[in-house]
Amino acid sequence: MKVSYILLGVLALLLLWSGCSYNSMNTGRINMNQKWANVQSQYQRRADLIPNLVATVKGAADFEKSTYIQTALARAGALHSAISNVSADQLTAAKMAEIQKASAEAQSAARMAINVAVEAYPQLKANQNFLSLQDQLEGTENRINVARNDFNKSVADFNISVTSFPGNLLARLFGFKEQLMFQADAGAENAPKVQF
Amino acid sequence: MMKTIKNGLRITGFAVLLLLMTGLRGFADDKDYPDRPNPPALVNDFAQILSQDQVLELENKLEDFARTTSNQITIVTMKNLGGHDVEEYSVEVFNRWGLGQSDKNNGVLLLVSMDDHKAWITVGKGLQGVLTDAQSGIIFRNELRPAFKAGDYYKGLYDATDAIIAITRGEYKADGLHRGEHDAPLTAIIIFIIFIIIIIRIIRGGGRGGGHYYSRGGWGSFFTGMFLGNMLGGWGGGDNDSGGWGGGDGGGFDGFGGGSTDGGGAGGSW
Repeated sequence: MKVSYILLGVLALLLLWSGCSYNSMNTGRINMNQKWANVQSQYQRRADLIPNLVATVKGAADFEKSTYIQTALARAGALHSAISNVSADQLTAAKMAEIQKASAEAQSAARMAINVAVEAYPQLKANQNFLSLQDQLEGTENRINVARNDFNKSVADFNISVTSFPGNLLARLFGFKEQLMFQADAGAENAPKVQF
Repeated sequence: MMKTIKNGLRITGFAVLLLLMTGLRGFADDKDYPDRPNPPALVNDFAQILSQDQVLELENKLEDFARTTSNQITIVTMKNLGGHDVEEYSVEVFNRWGLGQSDKNNGVLLLVSMDDHKAWITVGKGLQGVLTDAQSGIIFRNELRPAFKAGDYYKGLYDATDAIIAITRGEYKADGLHRGEHDAPLTAIIIFIIFIIIIIRIIRGGGRGGGHYYSRGGWGSFFTGMFLGNMLGGWGGGDNDSGGWGGGDGGGFDGFGGGSTDGGGAGGSW
């Protein structure tokens, strides 16, 4: 009689505990998805800004046929398609590497086009519109970094909750899997900087 | 038997604590970034490029603005950033200190690094609608850069903050902030007063006619008066200089409101 009460109590506690754990893991996952959405929108912004910037360069200088412009546009387009419709749980190592590569290439192609254009047409340096778009492009870079750091932090929290004992037993039961983090951009430091 | 269980529990507890501690470990290196100033200040001239009078002048201007609009424009000057990028460093300082109000994110950080001739304006999300990256860039190029090139740091900081003030003035009102702060406790206090009055009534119900001096509404009105007094004091204080959260620090700047930034803003080298 007594033993069955104790068993019942233990069972109730177990149920309560797993409910709590599920909720906290789920909160972690929602938080992570939201942070990922931020990352995504910042990448998107970068992809959208580059064509604007290119348009300004084209307007200010007769620069249309330049291959640099074409490359910048193509890379921006590639970034756009790399980042679109990717949810956080689709982020495999390969997908993340693809996004990072596309982003770095887009930024680098845009900078290259800017540098070449400014060299050919120094009057661009006085073009307010051109300078402003460039500020925005730089700002986007910073926002991407911040959003990615935030995402990584939320992933770290989530991973701790699903991999540490005893939560990991439940995580397996509920189907929570460890999430990958963003790595530092390879070769980000030798990307061409805008210079004038 | 009991003892082993106890020991087991103790060890588990310790392990959990250890786990928590490793989990809470920060990501960035703390010693690279300045601590939040105490007492709070909006002008933090760590590189010592300004005279004391100039610091005071800037501080007064920015404090006035913070009081009327709740926008917190903050200046930080550094000798160097220990190898960090100015953008990344600014975001870190911004979010560690919590510039702007937490519900509005209306802070602006103007950070300069003297050794590498870099300056960056970082804007909280709540002000990015008016103080865009493009606007920040224009302020940097038109106000800050020429003066810094000429070595007139005070003029650069003064003119740049003037421009930021002009652009962000219309965005928020301090009134809204303080009302918001006091609204919730007000209802709670009223409910509490009613509760106390009821309790007193019930207690006094038994001793009615006892003829105690205080019991003829004495304690009831005493408490009511006290709470009302506190409450009104809070209201009044909130709307003028000396109010705010800390209070009693001489009517200066109350402290950062816990805002954050997503990294927007602009800047460059001079």
